[in-house]
Amino acid sequence: MNDRTDDDRMRRLLEDAVSDVTPRGRLEDIRARTARARHGRRGWLWGAGAGVVATAATVAAVVTLTQGPGTPGSAQGGFASNASGSHAASPGAQHASGQPPAATPQGTPTVVRSAASQPTPSKGTPVSTLTVPVYFVGDTPHGPRLYKDNQLAPASDPVRTAVHAAVAGNTLDPDYHSPWPAGTDVTGVTADSSGITVALKSGDTSLTARPAGMSRQTARIAVQQVVHTAQDAVGSQAPVNFTVAGKPASRLLGLDVSGGVKRAADLDVEAVVWVLSPAQGATVHSPFTVTGLANTFEANVVWELERNGHVVKQGHTTATQAMMMAPYSFTVHAPPGQYLLVVHDSDASGLGKVTEDTKAITVR
Amino acid sequence: MTVTARWNADTAVEELYAAHYARLVRLAVLLVRDPETAEEVVQDSFVAMHGRWRTLKDPDSGLAYLRQTVVNRSRSVLRHRGVQARYVARHRTDAVPDAPPADHLALAIQRREQVLEALRELPDRQREVLALRYYLDLSEAEIAGTLGISRGAVKSHAFRGVAALRDRLGEHLEDL
Repeated sequence: MNDRTDDDRMRRLLEDAVSDVTPRGRLEDIRARTARARHGRRGWLWGAGAGVVATAATVAAVVTLTQGPGTPGSAQGGFASNASGSHAASPGAQHASGQPPAATPQGTPTVVRSAASQPTPSKGTPVSTLTVPVYFVGDTPHGPRLYKDNQLAPASDPVRTAVHAAVAGNTLDPDYHSPWPAGTDVTGVTADSSGITVALKSGDTSLTARPAGMSRQTARIAVQQVVHTAQDAVGSQAPVNFTVAGKPASRLLGLDVSGGVKRAADLDVEAVVWVLSPAQGATVHSPFTVTGLANTFEANVVWELERNGHVVKQGHTTATQAMMMAPYSFTVHAPPGQYLLVVHDSDASGLGKVTEDTKAITVR
Repeated sequence: MTVTARWNADTAVEELYAAHYARLVRLAVLLVRDPETAEEVVQDSFVAMHGRWRTLKDPDSGLAYLRQTVVNRSRSVLRHRGVQARYVARHRTDAVPDAPPADHLALAIQRREQVLEALRELPDRQREVLALRYYLDLSEAEIAGTLGISRGAVKSHAFRGVAALRDRLGEHLEDL
């Protein structure tokens, strides 16, 4: 390891160490104090120090993020689908950023502003982003199931951004969608020792009853989509409570959510094969490595590389463990071109009913 | 940087707040660890800068003053208030989730804790030099100016600080 990579590692390590610190203080607090100072009181510097941000208790393990006016992230468009090698701005990202600022229950505009206009103090430091898993719904022979899409979110607002992306269906993968009624907005996500709370705001469709045409199973998956995304982003398995328009919700999409919703058992809600990399739309160099998670019969994972609808390569591998979501990976050699990568479980039924995850990719 | 319009003290606070507040708070977290104390230190520094604006006059000096004040105040806060002890004590009672790490994000949170903990164990100067060099990306000369020490001293603190962190965090240095 040479000095340069060492330096880079140190940079990343320190940047990462404080990436989840969200300042709460407000410009007004400073203004109030400088105004006082002007009137000749000079005892404040240390005397009042402790009181000034007393309302701003920030504990690193607690994440409290509220959408304020001037939507966080919008300033930087700082939300794009994360792809190994995909640098294309995602249409989903524009959608996310283009949200009209929602009315905020307890907005902290200045904080949002400071976080959004994040600093390049001396020599352009890149905008700080985090990779967050966002769950979407895809169709499988077993009905709708969750798929996981790693996305980049601004470090200033990762949790709400992730949950919002899930609900809004902001993903580059055309096989994924969100069953949530259009216009549903996530106005904040808070987490503390008592649990996680997701604040929702409905569009034209009420969120209490199950919308016409939505099956009970789909409603359950939709709620789990938010539970999975919020829990992973917060890093906690605490039950998820919901509020709608600021009021605690006991019913959501026709389901009882009083007392909080726990993460459902994997097999009930998650698709048994996920491709985590390369991402949809990614450009890769041959040979490239495909990684993901699978929970399949005898841990078997089967893949095909298709070009213009014809299988040009195929293979199989096994995940590191059976009976649980476990990592798998394999390497593919292919000449330059556009391909569809298909990864699925083995067809135990013989009826062609497999659960698959597909990614359109370009090999350079 | 050339500034055509001259800022007054209030504008300076507003502009520098918008551009640097969040980053300075995070810098202070690297130094004092407790986020609440970190914000206190940064707010105090802004107030102090407002009072000194007449002698600072331009944004670059304003920012340099803020950095210096944040570092100095962080150091005295550590000395006078036993902040770290307080933070650690609070966290012990706040008990982090009993569930196993759900995901790499949970692991990331653990890693962050360990990095902040490792920084906490360094001597003040080493911690300050590392934070200014690797988090704010300052040059040796800028760090020397901020801390009022020689460039040679900056080098040696950086060298020892990195070695100590690598000792404590070997694996994490690799997996980022």
